[in-house]
Amino acid sequence: MRGIPTVLITVSPEVSAQMRPPRALYPKGFKVGNSTGRPGMRELQRQVLRDALLLLTENTRPGAVTTREYPEYGEQYDPPKVRK
Amino acid sequence: MTTLSRKCVPFTPFEGELSRATVAIVTAAGVHLRDQEQFNIADEMGDLTFRLIPPDVDSSDLMVTHHHYDHSDADEDINVVFPIDALRDLRAEGFVKEIASKHVGYMGYTMQLKAMYEGTAPQIANEIDRGGRADAVILTGG
Repeated sequence: MRGIPTVLITVSPEVSAQMRPPRALYPKGFKVGNSTGRPGMRELQRQVLRDALLLLTENTRPGAVTTREYPEYGEQYDPPKVRK
Repeated sequence: MTTLSRKCVPFTPFEGELSRATVAIVTAAGVHLRDQEQFNIADEMGDLTFRLIPPDVDSSDLMVTHHHYDHSDADEDINVVFPIDALRDLRAEGFVKEIASKHVGYMGYTMQLKAMYEGTAPQIANEIDRGGRADAVILTGG
């Protein structure tokens, strides 16, 4: 079976990094349940989706999580921490 | 210190251009059609099953069954975890070429990690690869 290129949108970057995803985008400050933004914010949802897809074409480091900021999201949230 | 997975990173290069790519969405956020069987949130071991979602789905026909995150925003607009309408917009603007013929929702909570890794995940990959003919996959969680 051939591989399939994937890109993860994660709002739990520390948790996701443990699994070493091939490519991952963390929209900084988005809360759990808001992977692409808030309800009805379609342009923000599109932009997060575009940025995630663009990671497929960039020289990202496999296993790393790329952080991007989206001020239009509004109030920021701390991501879940890994239990130690 | 954070513990990292010891498995190889399953990195597959993306060859070609996004504007010629067919894209699928696979979500662990517990998304499914309203008329599909809900995920089993009563079982403490979790649910290893997944649901296939067609490309022409009306996003208002989708719902979430998941008890490990607050999905009230997804209940209002499923695109916050399953961006199917946003993906259709990207197709309309030519950013991507096509939407895959199959998408997948599952509940990303299970205590049966080995069964998830060795059973469910390859089944999903098979659906996406052979069934959906996707060139690339967007993954989301809750």
